[in-house]
Amino acid sequence: MAALRSVAPWRGGWLPALQLVRHGSKAVTRHWKAMHFQRQKLMAVTEYLAPRPAVPPRCLGPRREAPQEDNGYAQLLRRQVEEAFRDNRMIAICQYNSMPDEDLVLMRHYLRKHNIEVKFVLNEIVRPVLSQSKYKNLLPLFVARNILLVSPEAKVREMLRVLKGVPQVNLLGACIDDTILSRQGVENFAKLPPLEAAQGQTVGALELLPSQTSSLLQRGSAHLTALLDQHIHRLQTGETGSTAEPSPAQSSGAH
Amino acid sequence: MRPWRLPLQLRPGAGPGGVTVPRAGLKKLVIPPDYSGVTIPEKTKLKFMDKVPAVPKVKREPRQLRDIRGPSREATDFTQGQYGILALGGGYLHWGHFEMIRLTIGRSMNIKNMFAIWRVPAPYKPVTRKSLGHRMGGGKGPIDHYVTAVKTGRLVVEIGGRCEFEEVKPFLTQVAKKLPFPAVPISRDGLEQLRREEEEKKLNNQNPWTFERIVTANMLGMRRYLSPYDVKFQGRYWGKFFLKHRV
Repeated sequence: MAALRSVAPWRGGWLPALQLVRHGSKAVTRHWKAMHFQRQKLMAVTEYLAPRPAVPPRCLGPRREAPQEDNGYAQLLRRQVEEAFRDNRMIAICQYNSMPDEDLVLMRHYLRKHNIEVKFVLNEIVRPVLSQSKYKNLLPLFVARNILLVSPEAKVREMLRVLKGVPQVNLLGACIDDTILSRQGVENFAKLPPLEAAQGQTVGALELLPSQTSSLLQRGSAHLTALLDQHIHRLQTGETGSTAEPSPAQSSGAH
Repeated sequence: MRPWRLPLQLRPGAGPGGVTVPRAGLKKLVIPPDYSGVTIPEKTKLKFMDKVPAVPKVKREPRQLRDIRGPSREATDFTQGQYGILALGGGYLHWGHFEMIRLTIGRSMNIKNMFAIWRVPAPYKPVTRKSLGHRMGGGKGPIDHYVTAVKTGRLVVEIGGRCEFEEVKPFLTQVAKKLPFPAVPISRDGLEQLRREEEEKKLNNQNPWTFERIVTANMLGMRRYLSPYDVKFQGRYWGKFFLKHRV
Protein backbone atom coordinates (compact mmCIF):
# COMPACT_ATOMS: atom_id res chain seq x y z
CA MET A 1 0.00 0.00 0.00
CA ALA A 2 2.34 2.71 1.02
CA ALA A 3 5.10 3.21 -1.47
CA LEU A 4 8.37 1.74 -0.59
CA ARG A 5 10.35 4.32 1.22
CA SER A 6 13.44 5.05 -0.70
CA VAL A 7 16.61 4.73 1.26
CA ALA A 8 18.14 7.86 -0.19
CA PRO A 9 15.31 10.29 -0.99
CA TRP A 10 17.78 12.94 -2.25
CA ARG A 11 19.72 12.40 -5.38
CA GLY A 12 23.52 12.12 -5.62
CA GLY A 13 24.77 11.78 -2.05
CA TRP A 14 25.28 8.50 -0.25
CA LEU A 15 26.24 7.49 3.23
CA PRO A 16 28.70 4.69 3.77
CA ALA A 17 27.00 1.47 4.55
CA LEU A 18 29.38 0.66 7.38
CA GLN A 19 30.40 3.27 9.95
CA LEU A 20 33.77 2.50 11.44
CA VAL A 21 32.73 3.34 14.98
CA ARG A 22 32.58 0.36 17.23
CA HIS A 23 32.51 1.53 20.80
CA GLY A 24 31.09 5.05 20.62
CA SER A 25 34.13 7.00 21.80
CA LYS A 26 33.81 10.51 20.43
CA ALA A 27 36.28 12.21 18.10
CA VAL A 28 37.71 14.48 20.83
CA THR A 29 38.72 12.58 23.93
CA ARG A 30 40.78 13.38 27.00
CA HIS A 31 42.96 10.34 26.37
CA TRP A 32 44.93 9.65 23.23
CA LYS A 33 42.38 7.90 21.03
CA ALA A 34 43.80 4.84 19.30
CA MET A 35 44.09 5.35 15.55
CA HIS A 36 42.86 2.87 12.99
CA PHE A 37 45.73 0.80 11.71
CA GLN A 38 45.38 2.16 8.20
CA ARG A 39 45.57 5.63 9.58
CA GLN A 40 48.64 4.69 11.59
CA LYS A 41 50.26 3.43 8.42
CA LEU A 42 49.35 6.63 6.63
CA MET A 43 50.86 8.71 9.43
CA ALA A 44 54.03 6.61 9.31
CA VAL A 45 54.35 6.98 5.54
CA THR A 46 53.77 10.72 5.53
CA GLU A 47 56.29 11.64 8.21
CA TYR A 48 58.67 14.56 7.75
CA LEU A 49 62.08 13.71 6.24
CA ALA A 50 64.73 16.29 6.93
CA PRO A 51 67.01 17.27 4.04
CA ARG A 52 70.52 15.81 4.13
CA PRO A 53 73.25 18.21 2.98
CA ALA A 54 75.64 16.93 0.32
CA VAL A 55 78.63 17.40 2.63
CA PRO A 56 77.95 16.30 6.23
CA PRO A 57 78.55 19.22 8.61
CA ARG A 58 81.21 17.35 10.58
CA CYS A 59 83.41 17.14 7.46
CA LEU A 60 83.44 20.91 7.17
CA GLY A 61 85.93 22.63 9.43
CA PRO A 62 84.97 24.30 12.72
CA ARG A 63 82.79 27.30 12.02
CA ARG A 64 84.69 30.53 12.54
CA GLU A 65 82.67 32.98 14.55
CA ALA A 66 81.96 36.15 12.62
CA PRO A 67 84.33 38.94 13.79
CA GLN A 68 82.46 40.97 16.37
CA GLU A 69 81.73 44.55 15.49
CA ASP A 70 84.17 47.13 16.81
CA ASN A 71 83.53 48.44 20.25
CA GLY A 72 83.87 52.21 20.59
CA TYR A 73 85.76 51.64 23.78
CA ALA A 74 88.19 49.25 22.07
CA GLN A 75 88.78 51.83 19.35
CA LEU A 76 89.56 54.46 21.94
CA LEU A 77 92.04 52.22 23.71
CA ARG A 78 93.74 51.39 20.42
CA ARG A 79 94.06 55.07 19.60
CA GLN A 80 95.60 55.70 23.00
CA VAL A 81 98.16 52.95 22.45
CA GLU A 82 99.08 54.33 19.04
CA GLU A 83 99.52 57.80 20.54
CA ALA A 84 101.72 56.41 23.31
CA PHE A 85 103.99 54.75 20.78
CA ARG A 86 104.14 57.86 18.65
CA ASP A 87 104.70 60.55 21.24
CA ASN A 88 107.17 58.89 23.61
CA ARG A 89 110.84 58.28 23.03
CA MET A 90 111.19 55.49 25.56
CA ILE A 91 108.68 52.65 25.91
CA ALA A 92 109.62 49.88 28.33
CA ILE A 93 107.56 46.69 28.62
CA CYS A 94 107.53 45.00 32.01
CA GLN A 95 105.87 41.90 33.33
CA TYR A 96 103.40 42.76 36.06
CA ASN A 97 102.66 40.41 38.93
CA SER A 98 100.00 41.44 41.35
CA MET A 99 101.37 43.66 44.06
CA PRO A 100 99.79 45.54 46.94
CA ASP A 101 98.02 48.70 45.89
CA GLU A 102 100.03 50.99 48.10
CA ASP A 103 103.29 49.68 46.63
CA LEU A 104 101.93 50.25 43.17
CA VAL A 105 101.01 53.81 44.03
CA LEU A 106 104.48 54.44 45.45
CA MET A 107 106.17 53.03 42.36
CA ARG A 108 104.00 55.21 40.13
CA HIS A 109 104.90 58.23 42.24
CA TYR A 110 108.63 57.64 41.98
CA LEU A 111 108.44 57.07 38.26
CA ARG A 112 106.27 60.15 37.81
CA LYS A 113 109.01 62.22 39.41
CA HIS A 114 111.25 61.25 36.50
CA ASN A 115 108.44 61.95 34.06
CA ILE A 116 107.82 58.24 33.37
CA GLU A 117 104.17 57.23 33.07
CA VAL A 118 102.85 53.76 33.88
CA LYS A 119 100.20 52.40 31.51
CA PHE A 120 98.19 49.22 31.93
CA VAL A 121 97.47 47.68 28.55
CA LEU A 122 95.29 44.80 27.40
CA ASN A 123 96.96 42.32 25.09
CA GLU A 124 93.91 41.90 22.94
CA ILE A 125 94.11 45.60 22.08
CA VAL A 126 97.87 46.01 21.76
CA ARG A 127 98.56 42.96 19.63
CA PRO A 128 96.53 44.01 16.56
CA VAL A 129 97.90 47.57 16.83
CA LEU A 130 101.52 46.41 16.91
CA SER A 131 101.16 43.78 14.22
CA GLN A 132 100.17 46.49 11.76
CA SER A 133 102.82 49.02 12.79
CA LYS A 134 106.62 48.84 12.52
CA TYR A 135 106.97 47.39 16.03
CA LYS A 136 106.18 43.85 14.93
CA ASN A 137 109.14 42.40 16.81
CA LEU A 138 107.70 43.52 20.12
CA LEU A 139 104.75 41.12 19.70
CA PRO A 140 106.31 38.15 21.57
CA LEU A 141 106.59 40.30 24.68
CA PHE A 142 102.83 40.95 24.93
CA VAL A 143 101.77 37.57 26.21
CA ALA A 144 100.90 37.64 29.91
CA ARG A 145 99.91 40.49 32.18
CA ASN A 146 102.18 43.46 31.47
CA ILE A 147 102.53 47.22 31.84
CA LEU A 148 104.15 49.91 29.73
CA LEU A 149 106.48 52.55 31.15
CA VAL A 150 106.49 55.43 28.71
CA SER A 151 108.47 58.63 28.82
CA PRO A 152 109.40 61.41 26.42
CA GLU A 153 112.99 61.41 27.76
CA ALA A 154 115.17 58.31 28.12
CA LYS A 155 115.94 58.20 31.85
CA VAL A 156 116.89 54.59 31.97
CA ARG A 157 119.12 54.61 34.99
CA GLU A 158 116.45 56.08 37.27
CA MET A 159 113.87 53.68 35.90
CA LEU A 160 116.10 50.67 36.54
CA ARG A 161 116.79 51.90 40.04
CA VAL A 162 113.05 52.12 40.83
CA LEU A 163 112.30 48.76 39.25
CA LYS A 164 115.10 47.12 41.22
CA GLY A 165 113.23 48.03 44.39
CA VAL A 166 109.98 46.48 43.10
CA PRO A 167 110.36 42.68 42.78
CA GLN A 168 106.91 42.16 41.26
CA VAL A 169 107.66 44.13 38.08
CA ASN A 170 110.28 42.61 35.77
CA LEU A 171 111.65 44.43 32.74
CA LEU A 172 111.21 42.41 29.56
CA GLY A 173 112.37 44.80 26.89
CA ALA A 174 112.25 48.37 25.69
CA CYS A 175 111.98 50.44 22.57
CA ILE A 176 114.13 53.57 22.93
CA ASP A 177 114.26 55.98 20.00
CA ASP A 178 112.77 53.36 17.68
CA THR A 179 115.43 50.84 18.66
CA ILE A 180 114.29 47.59 20.20
CA LEU A 181 116.48 46.58 23.14
CA SER A 182 116.41 43.50 25.30
CA ARG A 183 116.88 43.58 29.05
CA GLN A 184 120.68 43.32 28.67
CA GLY A 185 120.64 46.04 26.05
CA VAL A 186 118.74 48.34 28.40
CA GLU A 187 121.27 47.77 31.14
CA ASN A 188 124.11 48.56 28.76
CA PHE A 189 122.28 51.63 27.59
CA ALA A 190 122.02 52.74 31.21
CA LYS A 191 125.76 52.36 31.68
CA LEU A 192 126.51 54.65 28.72
CA PRO A 193 127.81 58.12 29.56
CA PRO A 194 125.51 61.10 28.86
CA LEU A 195 125.23 62.47 25.34
CA GLU A 196 127.59 65.46 25.70
CA ALA A 197 130.38 63.33 27.17
CA ALA A 198 129.91 60.76 24.42
CA GLN A 199 130.06 63.50 21.82
CA GLY A 200 133.18 64.92 23.38
CA GLN A 201 134.82 61.47 23.38
CA THR A 202 133.96 60.95 19.71
CA VAL A 203 135.35 64.33 18.77
CA GLY A 204 138.48 63.63 20.75
CA ALA A 205 138.99 60.28 19.07
CA LEU A 206 138.45 61.80 15.64
CA GLU A 207 140.88 64.70 16.10
CA LEU A 208 143.75 62.48 17.35
CA LEU A 209 145.46 62.05 13.97
CA PRO A 210 145.23 65.67 12.77
CA SER A 211 146.60 66.79 16.15
CA GLN A 212 149.55 64.44 15.72
CA THR A 213 150.16 65.84 12.23
CA SER A 214 150.08 69.41 13.48
CA SER A 215 152.50 68.62 16.29
CA LEU A 216 154.87 66.97 13.81
CA LEU A 217 154.86 70.05 11.60
CA GLN A 218 155.46 72.41 14.47
CA ARG A 219 158.22 70.31 16.04
CA GLY A 220 161.14 72.31 14.56
CA SER A 221 159.93 75.79 15.51
CA ALA A 222 158.85 74.50 18.90
CA HIS A 223 162.31 73.09 19.53
CA LEU A 224 163.91 76.42 18.50
CA THR A 225 161.58 78.35 20.77
CA ALA A 226 162.43 76.06 23.66
CA LEU A 227 166.18 76.46 23.16
CA LEU A 228 165.88 80.25 22.94
CA ASP A 229 163.93 80.33 26.11
CA GLN A 230 166.51 78.21 27.84
CA HIS A 231 169.27 80.51 26.63
CA ILE A 232 167.51 83.64 27.86
CA HIS A 233 167.07 81.99 31.10
CA ARG A 234 170.78 81.13 31.34
CA LEU A 235 171.78 84.67 30.33
CA GLN A 236 169.61 86.17 32.89
CA THR A 237 170.93 83.94 35.57
CA GLY A 238 174.63 83.67 34.47
CA GLU A 239 175.51 87.24 32.97
CA THR A 240 177.81 85.59 30.34
CA GLY A 241 179.17 87.70 27.41
CA SER A 242 177.38 88.31 24.11
CA THR A 243 179.73 85.66 22.52
CA ALA A 244 177.27 82.95 23.49
CA GLU A 245 174.53 84.65 21.32
CA PRO A 246 176.03 84.26 17.82
CA SER A 247 177.08 80.61 18.48
CA PRO A 248 173.44 79.42 18.99
CA ALA A 249 172.42 81.60 15.95
CA GLN A 250 175.11 79.78 13.80
CA SER A 251 174.00 76.39 15.03
CA SER A 252 170.36 77.27 14.19
CA GLY A 253 171.45 78.44 10.67
CA ALA A 254 173.30 75.08 10.17
CA HIS A 255 170.01 73.26 10.93
CA MET B 1 73.85 10.37 53.22
CA ARG B 2 76.11 12.81 51.42
CA PRO B 3 74.27 15.96 50.45
CA TRP B 4 73.78 15.99 46.70
CA ARG B 5 75.37 18.95 45.00
CA LEU B 6 74.56 20.36 41.60
CA PRO B 7 77.37 19.79 39.09
CA LEU B 8 79.56 22.81 38.41
CA GLN B 9 78.61 25.14 35.58
CA LEU B 10 80.36 24.29 32.32
CA ARG B 11 83.27 26.59 31.61
CA PRO B 12 84.18 27.23 27.96
CA GLY B 13 87.60 25.88 26.97
CA ALA B 14 87.83 23.81 30.16
CA GLY B 15 90.15 20.82 30.24
CA PRO B 16 89.62 17.59 32.21
CA GLY B 17 88.32 18.38 35.67
CA GLY B 18 86.89 21.70 34.48
CA VAL B 19 90.18 23.54 35.05
CA THR B 20 90.73 26.83 33.22
CA VAL B 21 93.30 29.60 33.49
CA PRO B 22 91.42 32.82 34.28
CA ARG B 23 92.05 35.52 31.71
CA ALA B 24 91.31 39.19 31.96
CA GLY B 25 89.85 40.69 28.81
CA LEU B 26 88.17 43.88 27.73
CA LYS B 27 84.78 44.41 29.34
CA LYS B 28 82.18 44.56 26.60
CA LEU B 29 79.80 47.28 27.62
CA VAL B 30 76.35 46.50 26.27
CA ILE B 31 73.97 49.35 25.53
CA PRO B 32 70.76 48.83 27.56
CA PRO B 33 67.55 48.31 25.55
CA ASP B 34 65.46 51.30 24.58
CA TYR B 35 61.96 51.31 26.04
CA SER B 36 60.99 54.81 24.98
CA GLY B 37 57.95 53.79 22.90
CA VAL B 38 56.42 51.51 25.53
CA THR B 39 53.25 52.73 27.32
CA ILE B 40 52.15 50.85 30.39
CA PRO B 41 48.38 50.93 31.09
CA GLU B 42 47.01 51.96 34.47
CA LYS B 43 45.89 48.56 35.70
CA THR B 44 48.90 46.38 35.13
CA LYS B 45 47.74 43.24 36.93
CA LEU B 46 45.38 40.67 35.43
CA LYS B 47 41.69 41.33 35.88
CA PHE B 48 39.70 39.09 38.21
CA MET B 49 37.64 36.58 36.23
CA ASP B 50 34.23 35.50 37.53
CA LYS B 51 33.50 31.91 38.23
CA VAL B 52 30.02 32.27 36.81
CA PRO B 53 29.05 34.82 34.15
CA ALA B 54 26.93 37.80 35.27
CA VAL B 55 23.89 36.27 33.58
CA PRO B 56 24.10 32.57 34.41
CA LYS B 57 22.81 30.22 31.72
CA VAL B 58 19.50 28.57 32.30
CA LYS B 59 19.43 26.17 29.38
CA ARG B 60 21.94 23.36 29.55
CA GLU B 61 24.15 23.26 26.44
CA PRO B 62 25.35 20.23 24.50
CA ARG B 63 28.93 19.27 24.93
CA GLN B 64 30.23 20.54 21.52
CA LEU B 65 33.77 19.28 21.83
CA ARG B 66 34.52 20.80 18.45
CA ASP B 67 35.43 24.00 20.29
CA ILE B 68 38.61 22.18 21.41
CA ARG B 69 39.43 20.50 18.12
CA GLY B 70 41.71 21.96 15.48
CA PRO B 71 43.64 25.24 15.21
CA SER B 72 42.45 28.49 16.77
CA ARG B 73 41.12 31.31 14.61
CA GLU B 74 41.13 34.05 17.27
CA ALA B 75 43.84 35.50 19.53
CA THR B 76 46.64 33.93 17.52
CA ASP B 77 48.77 37.09 17.30
CA PHE B 78 50.11 39.59 19.80
CA THR B 79 48.25 42.86 20.31
CA GLN B 80 49.71 45.00 23.08
CA GLY B 81 52.30 42.89 24.80
CA GLN B 82 55.58 41.35 23.71
CA TYR B 83 55.52 37.97 25.45
CA GLY B 84 52.78 35.47 26.13
CA ILE B 85 51.76 31.88 26.70
CA LEU B 86 50.91 29.94 23.56
CA ALA B 87 48.60 26.93 23.79
CA LEU B 88 49.90 23.89 21.90
CA GLY B 89 46.86 21.76 22.49
CA GLY B 90 43.15 22.11 23.09
CA GLY B 91 41.47 22.19 26.47
CA TYR B 92 39.09 23.84 28.90
CA LEU B 93 40.19 26.43 31.45
CA HIS B 94 38.08 26.68 34.57
CA TRP B 95 38.07 29.21 37.36
CA GLY B 96 40.82 27.44 39.30
CA HIS B 97 43.18 27.81 36.34
CA PHE B 98 42.28 31.45 35.99
CA GLU B 99 43.02 32.11 39.64
CA MET B 100 46.31 30.26 39.43
CA ILE B 101 47.39 32.28 36.40
CA ARG B 102 46.25 35.57 37.90
CA LEU B 103 47.91 35.04 41.25
CA THR B 104 51.17 33.56 39.95
CA ILE B 105 51.69 36.29 37.38
CA GLY B 106 50.56 39.00 39.79
CA ARG B 107 53.03 37.72 42.37
CA SER B 108 56.01 37.32 40.05
CA MET B 109 55.80 40.34 37.81
CA ASN B 110 57.07 43.85 38.41
CA ILE B 111 53.96 45.99 38.67
CA LYS B 112 55.73 49.21 37.79
CA ASN B 113 57.42 48.05 34.62
CA MET B 114 55.30 45.20 33.29
CA PHE B 115 51.64 44.75 32.46
CA ALA B 116 49.56 41.66 31.70
CA ILE B 117 46.34 41.20 29.78
CA TRP B 118 43.97 38.26 29.28
CA ARG B 119 43.55 36.88 25.79
CA VAL B 120 40.84 34.40 26.78
CA PRO B 121 37.30 35.31 27.89
CA ALA B 122 35.94 34.52 31.33
CA PRO B 123 34.30 31.09 31.65
CA TYR B 124 31.13 31.11 29.57
CA LYS B 125 30.44 27.48 28.65
CA PRO B 126 28.34 25.60 31.19
CA VAL B 127 29.49 22.08 32.07
CA THR B 128 26.98 19.72 33.66
CA ARG B 129 27.76 17.01 36.17
CA LYS B 130 25.53 14.33 37.51
CA SER B 131 25.64 13.79 41.25
CA LEU B 132 27.97 11.05 42.42
CA GLY B 133 26.86 7.50 42.76
CA HIS B 134 23.84 7.50 40.46
CA ARG B 135 23.26 5.17 37.57
CA MET B 136 23.01 6.27 34.00
CA GLY B 137 19.79 7.84 32.91
CA GLY B 138 17.41 10.33 34.50
CA GLY B 139 18.19 13.17 32.16
CA LYS B 140 21.04 15.59 31.89
CA GLY B 141 22.65 16.73 35.10
CA PRO B 142 22.50 20.29 36.38
CA ILE B 143 25.14 22.89 35.55
CA ASP B 144 28.17 22.35 37.74
CA HIS B 145 30.65 24.99 36.61
CA TYR B 146 31.67 27.12 33.66
CA VAL B 147 34.76 26.79 31.46
CA THR B 148 36.48 28.55 28.57
CA ALA B 149 37.43 26.60 25.49
CA VAL B 150 40.98 27.06 24.19
CA LYS B 151 42.17 25.73 20.84
CA THR B 152 45.73 25.12 19.66
CA GLY B 153 47.65 28.22 18.68
CA ARG B 154 45.77 30.61 20.92
CA LEU B 155 47.44 33.01 23.32
CA VAL B 156 46.22 32.75 26.89
CA VAL B 157 47.87 35.80 28.48
CA GLU B 158 50.09 38.56 27.16
CA ILE B 159 52.82 40.34 29.08
CA GLY B 160 54.42 43.58 28.00
CA GLY B 161 56.28 46.60 29.29
CA ARG B 162 59.86 47.44 30.13
CA CYS B 163 61.15 43.91 30.45
CA GLU B 164 63.09 41.23 28.59
CA PHE B 165 62.02 37.72 27.70
CA GLU B 166 64.51 36.18 30.13
CA GLU B 167 62.94 38.07 33.03
CA VAL B 168 59.46 36.93 32.13
CA LYS B 169 60.21 33.35 31.07
CA PRO B 170 60.58 31.71 34.51
CA PHE B 171 57.13 32.50 35.83
CA LEU B 172 55.49 32.02 32.43
CA THR B 173 56.93 28.49 32.23
CA GLN B 174 55.74 27.89 35.77
CA VAL B 175 52.22 28.86 34.70
CA ALA B 176 52.40 27.04 31.37
CA LYS B 177 53.26 23.75 33.04
CA LYS B 178 50.16 23.90 35.19
CA LEU B 179 47.71 24.42 32.36
CA PRO B 180 45.55 21.47 31.30
CA PHE B 181 46.94 21.56 27.76
CA PRO B 182 50.60 21.78 26.62
CA ALA B 183 51.71 25.42 26.57
CA VAL B 184 54.95 27.37 26.13
CA PRO B 185 56.02 30.90 26.93
CA ILE B 186 56.76 32.75 23.73
CA SER B 187 57.81 36.17 22.47
CA ARG B 188 56.92 37.98 19.24
CA ASP B 189 60.17 36.89 17.65
CA GLY B 190 59.68 33.34 18.87
CA LEU B 191 56.25 33.15 17.28
CA GLU B 192 57.56 34.48 13.99
CA GLN B 193 60.36 31.97 14.11
CA LEU B 194 57.93 29.11 14.78
CA ARG B 195 55.83 30.06 11.77
CA ARG B 196 58.89 30.48 9.60
CA GLU B 197 60.24 27.09 10.60
CA GLU B 198 56.90 25.51 9.84
CA GLU B 199 56.94 27.00 6.36
CA GLU B 200 60.51 25.90 5.80
CA LYS B 201 59.71 22.38 6.91
CA LYS B 202 56.85 22.26 4.47
CA LEU B 203 59.12 23.41 1.67
CA ASN B 204 62.17 21.26 2.33
CA ASN B 205 60.37 18.05 3.18
CA GLN B 206 62.14 15.25 1.34
CA ASN B 207 59.21 12.88 1.60
CA PRO B 208 57.26 12.97 -1.68
CA TRP B 209 54.23 11.51 0.07
CA THR B 210 52.42 14.07 2.18
CA PHE B 211 49.22 13.63 4.13
CA GLU B 212 47.61 16.43 2.16
CA ARG B 213 48.45 14.86 -1.17
CA ILE B 214 47.21 11.41 -0.25
CA VAL B 215 44.01 12.59 1.37
CA THR B 216 42.92 15.15 -1.22
CA ALA B 217 43.42 12.58 -3.97
CA ASN B 218 41.90 9.82 -1.82
CA MET B 219 44.78 7.50 -2.63
CA LEU B 220 44.23 3.87 -1.63
CA GLY B 221 40.77 4.82 -0.40
CA MET B 222 42.18 6.50 2.68
CA ARG B 223 39.09 8.68 3.10
CA ARG B 224 37.33 5.53 4.39
CA TYR B 225 39.44 5.67 7.55
CA LEU B 226 39.60 9.43 7.93
CA SER B 227 37.08 12.07 8.79
CA PRO B 228 36.30 15.22 6.80
CA TYR B 229 38.11 17.13 9.52
CA ASP B 230 41.33 15.41 8.59
CA VAL B 231 41.20 17.02 5.16
CA LYS B 232 41.14 20.38 6.92
CA PHE B 233 43.69 19.56 9.57
CA GLN B 234 46.18 17.76 7.32
CA GLY B 235 47.13 15.18 9.91
CA ARG B 236 48.53 17.76 12.37
CA TYR B 237 45.62 17.52 14.81
CA TRP B 238 44.16 14.39 16.43
CA GLY B 239 41.31 15.05 18.79
CA LYS B 240 42.40 17.83 21.05
CA PHE B 241 46.08 17.06 20.54
CA PHE B 242 48.44 18.98 18.31
CA LEU B 243 51.16 16.89 16.64
CA LYS B 244 54.06 19.29 16.54
CA HIS B 245 56.51 17.01 14.77
CA ARG B 246 54.33 16.49 11.76
CA VAL B 247 54.78 18.78 8.79
